[in-house]
Amino acid sequence: MKMGLSRRNFLKAGAAGVAIKVSLLPSPTQAELIQTPPRPGADWLAAGGKPKYRLDAIAKVTGGKTFSRDYRARDLEGWPKEQAHAFTLKATRVDRVFDSVDLSLLGDDLKPDRLVLHEDLVADGITLPSPWPGFYGDVFFVPKGQTARLLGQPVAMLIYHDFARYDAAKRKLRFNDKAVRYGPEGPSTTPGPYGAARYVRIDGGSPDAEDRYSSLKETTIRAGFKGEEPQWPAAGDGDAMARGMAAAAEIEREIAAAGDDALVLRRSFATQSADASAMEADNGNVWYDRASGLLHALIATQSPYEVAEATAHMVSKSKLPLNSVDLKIGYTVGYGTKDHAIFPYYCVLAGLYGDGRPVRLANDRFEQFQTALKRHAFQMEKVMVIDRKTGRFRAMTGRYRTDGGGRENFSVSVGTVGATAAQSIYYLPKSDFSAVILSSRAVDAGSMRGYGTLQTMAATEMMVDEAAEALGLDPMEFRRRNALKSGMKNSQGAIPSGAMRHGEILDRAQKHPLWANRQKRKAEFEAANPGKKYGVGYGHVHKDYGTGAESALCAIEFDAAGRLKLSHVAHEIGTGATTSQAVMAAGILGRQPDETEFGRVRWPQMPLETTDEPYTLSQEEEDKRKANPRWTPSFTSPMSASNSVYYLGHATREAAKALVELAIWPAARSLWSRGIGGGQMAPEAVRREDLRVVGGRVTAAAMQPLAFAEIAAEAHRLGLVTGVTVHSFNRWQWAEAEFDLPDTGQWRFAIDALAVKYGEGAPASRKELMTLEGWHFVERASVFYPPAQRNNAGVTYYAPMATLAEIAVDTGSGEISLLSHHSILECGNQIVPELVSGQIQGGIAMGIGHALKEYLPLHEDGPGDGTWNWNRYELPVSKDVAVWSQTSEVLPPLSDTDPPKGMAEVVMIAVVPALANAVAHAIGKRFYSLPITSEKIREALA
Amino acid sequence: MTIVTKPLSLTINDKAVGPIDVPEAMMMQDFLYEYLDLTGSRMGCGQGICHACTVVLEKPDGTLEEMRTCITGAHWFAGRKIRTVEGHAQRDANGAITALSPVQQAFIEHFSFQCGYCTPGFVTGATVLLDQLKRNPVKREALEQVISEALDRHICRCTGYVRYFEAVRDLALKTPGLVKA
Repeated sequence: MKMGLSRRNFLKAGAAGVAIKVSLLPSPTQAELIQTPPRPGADWLAAGGKPKYRLDAIAKVTGGKTFSRDYRARDLEGWPKEQAHAFTLKATRVDRVFDSVDLSLLGDDLKPDRLVLHEDLVADGITLPSPWPGFYGDVFFVPKGQTARLLGQPVAMLIYHDFARYDAAKRKLRFNDKAVRYGPEGPSTTPGPYGAARYVRIDGGSPDAEDRYSSLKETTIRAGFKGEEPQWPAAGDGDAMARGMAAAAEIEREIAAAGDDALVLRRSFATQSADASAMEADNGNVWYDRASGLLHALIATQSPYEVAEATAHMVSKSKLPLNSVDLKIGYTVGYGTKDHAIFPYYCVLAGLYGDGRPVRLANDRFEQFQTALKRHAFQMEKVMVIDRKTGRFRAMTGRYRTDGGGRENFSVSVGTVGATAAQSIYYLPKSDFSAVILSSRAVDAGSMRGYGTLQTMAATEMMVDEAAEALGLDPMEFRRRNALKSGMKNSQGAIPSGAMRHGEILDRAQKHPLWANRQKRKAEFEAANPGKKYGVGYGHVHKDYGTGAESALCAIEFDAAGRLKLSHVAHEIGTGATTSQAVMAAGILGRQPDETEFGRVRWPQMPLETTDEPYTLSQEEEDKRKANPRWTPSFTSPMSASNSVYYLGHATREAAKALVELAIWPAARSLWSRGIGGGQMAPEAVRREDLRVVGGRVTAAAMQPLAFAEIAAEAHRLGLVTGVTVHSFNRWQWAEAEFDLPDTGQWRFAIDALAVKYGEGAPASRKELMTLEGWHFVERASVFYPPAQRNNAGVTYYAPMATLAEIAVDTGSGEISLLSHHSILECGNQIVPELVSGQIQGGIAMGIGHALKEYLPLHEDGPGDGTWNWNRYELPVSKDVAVWSQTSEVLPPLSDTDPPKGMAEVVMIAVVPALANAVAHAIGKRFYSLPITSEKIREALA
Repeated sequence: MTIVTKPLSLTINDKAVGPIDVPEAMMMQDFLYEYLDLTGSRMGCGQGICHACTVVLEKPDGTLEEMRTCITGAHWFAGRKIRTVEGHAQRDANGAITALSPVQQAFIEHFSFQCGYCTPGFVTGATVLLDQLKRNPVKREALEQVISEALDRHICRCTGYVRYFEAVRDLALKTPGLVKA
């Protein structure tokens, strides 16, 4: 969930008249996929719709060019073949002003062909693009005479026209602290705190009753600052924020007055800054042709639209001419850290100063640690109030302070999402969670898998275990009494989507041998292994998925021969998004797409207009704007680990379902009605709901099964709809719209925009409507957008997961060995089970790293000093993750209509508290600071 | 200073390469990327830790060894024979893939990778391991341990290693002669 992004003003101000084009790189190897033995494309999907391998598998396993990093200028059509290269020098201290760069070490031969400093950008009028002031900081390079805003901030860029000199120069300057000269001490340029938000809720006496106060019903409370302390509004009975503070005060008084009949548990937790360590480091390649005003870019990013738009804004505001931005993207991976990162704009700078040459800026691993977005460190003060008699929560509060580093980025969003997730899986009659998002000279933090919830939910689950122990309750029983049940509200007062199945998960976990036999096994293990302690821990969480403003585009069309084409805005970041979209379409239509196009961003058939203020637009303003049938709150979303199957998949599913209604069903009826007296269909009462796709053929109520090719030919003959493009929007609820289609009546779909194609036999009057590159944009007759107030829901979509972790602790070395683990996930209908289990396994590995290994100091000894790599920053390797002894299960869906849930983030969280709770079981010590290292264990046991 | 270069010749994927003038200090991965357009062996850490950049060294005695190209100079490979990830699958005269190697086939069937950035290193490591098993078969009960020891040095950030390791185990078990009864 991300909130508050508003790009309208800067886009309108800067990029008017600049053409923007974004496209996925055409990979020769990718194209080979369709025809290449040993498995030609036609049998990519086995019978039953199960994919035999990922859509991108062959390109990736044979070393084909797939990542942005793999490409050079010579690979890109129309680009000059000579490739220039660039790197930046960075400030490693923020207490003294930047004076100059000293390149004398390089000698004359290795001097850069172009040196770019802040003053050059000033002369050319180039400034940072920014969704809002401060999002990416204030300047690209530290100006002479000023201190750096953050550790690792670039001071200069060196551009070389050839690789050999670039390579030699970079190696000479790496770790050299003489290359950047500093002057005297100077005033700090690190900004002030970024924001504060508070979510208060008091229920109406029961989960079903109307809340007395909640952010959904009333408002999210915001605060200004004095120094680093938030100044919350005064409590009172005035506006919604004052009433919210009064509710918070009431909760505080109740905690203070709690008697012996309640357990009041207060704990402080800390979680560390961490590096995503995406294997593909940030990179880009930009060619700027000043004469024509064309800027061509190839950049690794999870948010290509934002990069293209912001680049257009950045350059068009400068003195440099710009007519067009052509952005290409390859496959990439970032775990969130390539979404709205500043790095792409340094790539643009490299191109602008390339003297007409394509310039490549590609981080090595040291640079990646020094500059890539980090996971936020959190400090947490938590209070739980539990009724001793019932074992149920009366209230929970949490104060969360997080360090966003020297640029704001999505820090406020990450902090507030962390606060809204702090309740974990529990129903809380009263809750007060606040997030205070601070700045510092640390490397900037931003979007990263887990997005604040990893930090706050893990702490809650660790504390829940301790609370159960203090109450004398079995940890499973304590969880069972308090877990959210269907229809109960979250801490923002919103009712989550669908059934809450925590009880089923708890049942399975409680019966699992790891849990059921833990005491017996502990005694046996410790008797057999002197010096080692055995423990089993449990963690149970649920993670929201989505942003509260999810939008996507998908087109599905077929020709008269039945060849099916799927086009989608989604691109691949490793999660298998492209595979899943193709499988979903095939599942509904009964035929796999013969042709797929992902990462498509040119949609001439959808002439939509957007203000791109989905979080901040008032209801009144939105009501005005939605009268324009071409307006939408948001055009498309960045790619994230957990938004593909549900949100992006919704567009695929709606497009496929629309095609069923508008093409397959009427074409099938036409074929079944042929012949005297109404044909084979006449004797039966065949209804739309009887339609089934069986073995790739369409049938209904014993009608002759029809191949897709037969249906396609008939649809074209009749001039029916033969192509559908949809645009979807979700604000914790789907937008819906009605469309009047020629000769077929009114249709309602869970989309807000529609374009169609008509078949070859369509009358001229219908074909005349296909004016947008062969498509007819159908203006909606009416539209429903989820109310703007729903922004305060924080979240309504959750995927739950629980993990049991079995460990041994060496009491001498403090080393923790993970012996085995078992996880239980609920994610609706799985589209590709192999991809789901792969996400479970990979997410758990990342969680293990967070719990036990990965750590970055925030400031002077941290990654901003440019000396960090994987020799110091320990990533989990195979021996750390119990490769051969891990298991998992996925709850069966309630029915085949359960939507698939985004699960690629939740899978990394539960193992964190499971490990901490296992350590407590093993050695009787609880830890409140992550990671739990062997050193901390030794200290605790000393 | 002047960059000192010298000619480099070697055999890559069964093709003679060079002589090409290459700076003496250049690492092999950069030579592969920037001089030969072989970008499949991936830069991960540049320190020899993650093994995403490895290639197969084909020794004169027929044995194979995994080499890290990010910390090995290009000229170390002079006169030697290597196989990069681009050279494992069979290709036709036009370079189109006609058949994957057994390791590659096992990886795609097991959905072993996600982002796939580390996959070339795992293809290399697993290929070398299977070659070693062909020469020195192991007992069935030792197989998992042998795989773990051979591939533990490879870092993958996406997958948790399970589907890579299972693919190698299943391939070893179904390939005659690698595992003793």
